[in-house]
Amino acid sequence: MSHKGKNSAGSSKGKKSTKSGAESKSEDVLQAVVLADSFQDRFRPFTVEKPRCLLPLANTPLIEYTLEFLAMNGVNEVYIYCGAHTDQVEDHINRSRWATTSRSSPFSVVQFVRVSDARSVGDVLRDMDKRSLVDGDFILVHGDLVSNIILDEALAAHRKRRETSAANIMTLVLRSGGLVEHRTKTNGITPVFAIDAKNQRCLHYDEISPLQSDHYITLDPAIPDELSTDFEVRADLIDAQIDICTPEVLALWSESFDYELPRKNFLHGVLKDWELNGKMIYAEVLEEGYAARASNLQMYNSISQDIISRWAAPFLPENNILPSQSYNRQPNGVVVDKSVTLASDAKLSKSVVGRFTTIGAGSKITNCVIGKDCKIGSNVTLENSYLWNQVTIEDGAQISQSVLADSTYVGEKSRIFSGSLLSYGVQVDKNITLQDGVVASMVTASGAPATKDTKLLGDSTNAAVFYDPEDEELDEQDPSQLQKSLLYSLANLNISTSTISTLASAIDSDDEDDDGIISEGATSTRSRLLSFASDDSAGRAGFHADAVHGLVDALRAETGDFDSAKLEFMGLRLANDASDHMMRKAVAAAFARRAAELLTPEYGSLEPSKAAEKALTARKGATKFIDEVGVGGGEAEQVEFTLQLQKALQYVKGVETPRAGILLAALLQQLYALDILEEEGILGWWKDTRAVENETLTTLKEKSKVLVEWLENAEEEDDDSEEESDDE
Amino acid sequence: MPSAVAGYAPNLDKYLKSLKGQPLELSIENLVSLLKRRQIKGAEPCAVATAHIILQVVARSKWQNVDGLIDNVSRVGRKLASAAPTELVIGNIVRRVLGLIRDEAAEDRNEPQSEDPSDGHATPPDAVPNSTIAKQDSAGDYLNNSPSPQSRPGLFVSQSAVNIPKSLFHLLSASPPADPDHVPGSPFAGSGTSTPQHHKSSSSQVHALRSEVIDGIEEIKDEISQVDDQIAALADVQIHSGDYLLVHRPSPTVERFILRAAVKRKFTVLIVTEPPRKHLAEVQHASFRKKLSAAKITVVNILNGGLMAYMARVDKVILGAKAIVANGGVISDAGAAAIARAAKESGNAVIVLGGIYKLSPETPFGEDEVIEWADPSSYVDFADGQLVGSVDVRTAATEMVPADLIDTYVTNLGTHTRDHLSTLIADHYKPEDIDFHLWDDARR
Repeated sequence: MSHKGKNSAGSSKGKKSTKSGAESKSEDVLQAVVLADSFQDRFRPFTVEKPRCLLPLANTPLIEYTLEFLAMNGVNEVYIYCGAHTDQVEDHINRSRWATTSRSSPFSVVQFVRVSDARSVGDVLRDMDKRSLVDGDFILVHGDLVSNIILDEALAAHRKRRETSAANIMTLVLRSGGLVEHRTKTNGITPVFAIDAKNQRCLHYDEISPLQSDHYITLDPAIPDELSTDFEVRADLIDAQIDICTPEVLALWSESFDYELPRKNFLHGVLKDWELNGKMIYAEVLEEGYAARASNLQMYNSISQDIISRWAAPFLPENNILPSQSYNRQPNGVVVDKSVTLASDAKLSKSVVGRFTTIGAGSKITNCVIGKDCKIGSNVTLENSYLWNQVTIEDGAQISQSVLADSTYVGEKSRIFSGSLLSYGVQVDKNITLQDGVVASMVTASGAPATKDTKLLGDSTNAAVFYDPEDEELDEQDPSQLQKSLLYSLANLNISTSTISTLASAIDSDDEDDDGIISEGATSTRSRLLSFASDDSAGRAGFHADAVHGLVDALRAETGDFDSAKLEFMGLRLANDASDHMMRKAVAAAFARRAAELLTPEYGSLEPSKAAEKALTARKGATKFIDEVGVGGGEAEQVEFTLQLQKALQYVKGVETPRAGILLAALLQQLYALDILEEEGILGWWKDTRAVENETLTTLKEKSKVLVEWLENAEEEDDDSEEESDDE
Repeated sequence: MPSAVAGYAPNLDKYLKSLKGQPLELSIENLVSLLKRRQIKGAEPCAVATAHIILQVVARSKWQNVDGLIDNVSRVGRKLASAAPTELVIGNIVRRVLGLIRDEAAEDRNEPQSEDPSDGHATPPDAVPNSTIAKQDSAGDYLNNSPSPQSRPGLFVSQSAVNIPKSLFHLLSASPPADPDHVPGSPFAGSGTSTPQHHKSSSSQVHALRSEVIDGIEEIKDEISQVDDQIAALADVQIHSGDYLLVHRPSPTVERFILRAAVKRKFTVLIVTEPPRKHLAEVQHASFRKKLSAAKITVVNILNGGLMAYMARVDKVILGAKAIVANGGVISDAGAAAIARAAKESGNAVIVLGGIYKLSPETPFGEDEVIEWADPSSYVDFADGQLVGSVDVRTAATEMVPADLIDTYVTNLGTHTRDHLSTLIADHYKPEDIDFHLWDDARR
């Protein structure tokens, strides 16, 4: 926890005390906190040896963009948390013009904050609160931010709000991104904001991902009831995580010791508990300017392309932000350093080429960024690729959609395609073909030298394919796995495609009220606003959805004990204060969905009777669970459960109604055979008018006729089954 | 060290206010970043900022003689010019100041010739020939003697080499190794001649030179601020009653010019506008239109595309210059070149307005060197993901109007033809300063 040179802890405290005395009121000093470590590893293998904020983007280290952004906005004091590879970051900044010792720094304070045992952004911010480094409004940004937004208006608005009430603690600066697909939006995780249309108060935050099994978010019913009458739910925003905060924000972090991520945990949590903490957060949605975070390789790619297309002006290579650069823009959109040697017939378009690089005859370069001191042979084809410094590409090589780190070497006529990453110093022999996102590195994830993979990379190689041990630990449902590769792809992933219709089934409530649910279908438009009605069905729907998904997942699993699922279910029930009726409904829906799923081709197209059997009996303990939790009672409850089963089947997709009817009959038969349902229950359901409310339900019911007739006949004959089932 | 910069996003005003409280080097670096980030842009703001910072360099940097001063000024000038290579006015202002310094130095040395360098250099006998060359050189005999700018520092090196014993003695005993206001590289420039006994005589001289140069820069600053008024004073001569004038994105200079003429004459103004990208509430150039209407002048906004239809009716096209290059080409807002060509085809006069400080002695090799490319967001909304992802938007903010399309140049010194420009350049800039911004590369 020590600080270097002039910025030692002692002197900074001295500065601090004089400042807080003189300037706590004057407010002409703007402070900023830069989180230069994001506690993620989405840039592996590059970040094994170098921190993310020093990776070059368009030949300029990422942190330079962030600091330029702060300088552009007149920030005066900067506190940087470096985290991993602290020494490298500190060294870089101390040698740059930002260091306060260099006498040309626009900042009066540049202080490194070291937190010894930080495991998340939350830990860092809690530590900052303890040390009370910041004493006024400050800008919280990440060390991988590229933005040209002028914050003056947002700051003024923030200040005005804060003067009105001390509870207005934070302003999020967001950029609208349009409704259509946009390369600069993060893939995999879509942030969803509910923002009051009048006063811009942010009411709710959530994240959705294509891996979620249900594509909707649940709003607190209090939002339409108490907080706002007119609000927008927006999933189109580009969130570069530029936050204008008051010190109370840090205090709030300290209060919530388990928050880790600024958005998913903190923002979501604070907004959810608005009644408890009484704080308000606002959002400024800008229509001008550029803001994005190179938070993963896909964003790195997008931002590089944005910079080549000049969207991030003035932070462009041709403006030579770094003192050592001397780029010139040529009319064809190529930005080339003065010292570059180009063969006369090399074709370049939309590219950036750094100092002392040579490019051989007949080479074609499109949409690339090439660092300094690179040697590109003749007849090389480069497309959409990023070459860092001292890269050597021999004659005739082809490279597309790849990142080649410092000092890599690609042999003659080798071909590197689609999302391949070559880490520092990797050598690829001649006539090698790499594709489908091969990640090669000289070191393993722990930093140890890798054993050479001569089979894949050729005899003269020094590297091997890089495996991230944390990949295996990742949950299949964790959206961050979508952000690990250079190319975004949803192929090869098991993505449930719930649509509006499944949504309807999930929240089907018997009092057919309007349900207050915001839908976020993956294929439907990005932001959708349905009508709101004030009843408690939103909370109920939340329980229902969570419970059904928990159960279906448990049923899908091949092994394991169903008791844990049961425990989870009961926990959920207590948490949501769900009624018996809701539980029954959830259980029925879960089993109906699982049974119907088994009919579909992807699960083996079982016959209805087999499917029913498998759904109910495949997992040990499942039948007991239905008996105790799902039904758990006399005739009325059994009727109820059967009815719910029927209704759930009504909405199952991928199975036509008559077949679903057969499935229902099969399920009932199974349940009867398992002694869960009795004749009275089934017959009671058969006579119930609710079972024939509409056509679909009637069709479903028809198929059970045989079963019912058989039951009616059997009733007189064997009465002993009644006694058995009375035991429960 | 609380900085004086109030508010947040820095701009020209805040920058100028901050100059006093800051160390010189910080001010220079700040201006370089502001120029790089385009937070100071446009001819007039760049010229004002350059004049201010050069004034600070003259007043506060350490220099012992004329060469040291010239070295300091051109070093800072190079930094600024390379930070915003498309703003030619920066170079112009620096050249003007360099010329000023040379003139003042020549005057000084002509008057008290006896006391100047003689006692400094006479001590070692070998130094005499050197000092005479130096005298000749500084006496302003540049044209015959040493036209190449590179020869100047070379000469200086030899001079200091002769004085090595003294300078070593001086370095060890008197001079503090580094002081806060020192411009990098300048210690070498001043080391040779600053002997203690020389210091006394030169310090008064330095003081005199400094104040004279500062006065000169103040004059340049005044000139910049008065340019629009002086140009407007010539409006009556150019604009006649009943004229149809065509203007393109009128700059403040052009607006002043036309409004001045409107006091006496009645004419019609056509304003060429770009198709509006967003639905703006206000008509483009609304405030200018209001002022003209108040003066009972008819104003018509026409779209760029429909320009040619009006050209037959137009008498004069008035363009505001961002810079005028040596061959008479004019850098103006994008769109001006098409208008000038259309005017030429229809035989209409094209009048360019611009202060003399915008007249640059440089002639760029190609248009690409001096035009500024705009952010694509002026034509495409960044929120339009499909366009952003698949369309390469290239839009120039400025362009070069070729010299042969322009008939008249109106500056604060009067009305000129193209042939006259070379005389103006010769009046304002010293030939050895023209390529000052290229020295850096030659030395590397």
